[in-house]
Amino acid sequence: MTAFPAADGRLTPDAIRSYAFPSARFGRRGLDEGHVWEFCRLAEREVVRLLNERTSLADEVQRLRRRVLAGPAAGSGVRPDDGHAEAVAILSRAQQAADRYVADAQEYCRQLSDDARRLGDEILAEARSRAVLDEAHAEAGLAAGTGPGTPAAQDGSEPGELEAQLAYLRTFSDVYRTHLHAYLDRLLRNVEEWDRAEKETLTVVHADMSAPPDVPPLPPLPRIPQ
Amino acid sequence: MDTARLKENFAQVFMHGDEVALFFYSDLFLRHPELREMFPVAMSAQRDRLVRAIGKIVSGVGDLDQLTPYLRELGRDHRKFGTLPAHYQPLRASLLATLAYFSGQGWTPELAADWEEAYGRVSQIMIESAAADEKVNPAFWDATIISHELRALDTAVIRAVTLDRLNFLPGQSVAIESQLRPRIWRFYSIANAPREDATLDFHVRMIDGGALSMALTRGVTAGSRLRLGPAVGTLTLDTTSGRDVLLVAGSTGLAPVKTIALQIAGLADPPGVHLFVGARRAEGLYDLPDLEKLSALAPWLTVTPCVSDDPDYPGERGLLPDVVARSGSWAGHDAYLAGPTPMVEGMAAQLAAQGVPPQQIHVEDFGWSEP
Repeated sequence: MTAFPAADGRLTPDAIRSYAFPSARFGRRGLDEGHVWEFCRLAEREVVRLLNERTSLADEVQRLRRRVLAGPAAGSGVRPDDGHAEAVAILSRAQQAADRYVADAQEYCRQLSDDARRLGDEILAEARSRAVLDEAHAEAGLAAGTGPGTPAAQDGSEPGELEAQLAYLRTFSDVYRTHLHAYLDRLLRNVEEWDRAEKETLTVVHADMSAPPDVPPLPPLPRIPQ
Repeated sequence: MDTARLKENFAQVFMHGDEVALFFYSDLFLRHPELREMFPVAMSAQRDRLVRAIGKIVSGVGDLDQLTPYLRELGRDHRKFGTLPAHYQPLRASLLATLAYFSGQGWTPELAADWEEAYGRVSQIMIESAAADEKVNPAFWDATIISHELRALDTAVIRAVTLDRLNFLPGQSVAIESQLRPRIWRFYSIANAPREDATLDFHVRMIDGGALSMALTRGVTAGSRLRLGPAVGTLTLDTTSGRDVLLVAGSTGLAPVKTIALQIAGLADPPGVHLFVGARRAEGLYDLPDLEKLSALAPWLTVTPCVSDDPDYPGERGLLPDVVARSGSWAGHDAYLAGPTPMVEGMAAQLAAQGVPPQQIHVEDFGWSEP
């Protein structure tokens, strides 16, 4: 026997067809009257519901038909009226897709060049600071008499080697100090420029000029030989 | 023609934004597929341009006399795209179809008549101006690249020769289209004074992701073909002022500035000229040897290169506006500025602060032209 009414509370054609009325109690003939009346009440309610739904759908169809015939409602604008408009819409979407692909490709290209340029700048800066250290090591090596670029002996047990190591360290620190002086000097000049630019921007209000000048990167601290 | 009604309709239709121009071009290309190849593959910039132009025309439609110089320029300008008088009819049909579509119920025969009349007047001025220009100029100049030098990683100096002579004033620019990037036009300043052999120099810096600048720096070689539009721009030398001249160039802004210096070199009694050229790094001073050669021969010319992003650069360091400002007092000079917009704006503000009158500060202005 089918559950009655169905789970969603609606009467279905299948429920009507397969509904099994229970027999009347023993001693009476035919179907159980109460169940039959109950079923008829449900069927009636369902038919009324269907009729109401049909009326409201018919109203909706009328409303939409009127809207289509009358053109777009105020503010809604677009009217999908014929095949041409549909073709225009399809072509427009295709053009937008093409625009997006080109824009994406250009953006990718922009990022790639941007990365390459930044990487190039980093490599250059690194090479420069390494050159400073190499120069210091080379000069120190010459002063210590151990040949360019070779740090002094490591154990320092012999007095001669100790002297050589001392000479190496002295020259290395001299050369590095010179570079540090130049660097600090540049930094100071930058700060002065910054000061001046800031004073000017107070009188000439112009956003573009308030950015501080770039500060040069500090060379990395040298690795002092033991 | 009821201009108030027309403006109101324009405002209502263009509320739909990019959809309007999208519809217009799709409608046009469906009715006339042969017109599609006159436009670039990517159309979003083109759509913006169309909407701006229509907006400008509609806002001035009440006073066509005031609008006429713009329309004449627009008509002339469209010759290089291959626009012919016959193209105005399909455009009219698609414009009206677009307006009708987006006006919906508000589209009336009176409105249609307003737009028809406005379009008729506007297109007539454009067609007449193009016809007048046709008597003296080709639609565009075919050019062949005869040398292409990559002076820095991202900067090329190109020399091209045109079949027909292209007349220009030193400091002016032309729109360029490359065979490699059809239908994409960008303005570049001519970097030489007019020459007998009709060759033209251009300085091109690669803009990251820039369609044409990448093709011109890395794609083209000697033998590649270009199309050039007519010379435009107002960054030209005032030869009557008698004042000394300050030239300031950032990056490839050097092109027009160098041309002005070359023009001054040809004057009988050249004024004193101080040329500042700036770049981020020393490698960006891509034309310095040539400038130094020029200044060695010209006692009236001082060239000061400066670099903003390299603390080890031995010469002038800093941003151009700062370097120029601390190098002298320029109130008595005519100043000509070219380069990236922030630099030009910063420099102009700096000079104004120094007391240089605005009419002595010359910057590029393409007027109404759009490539």
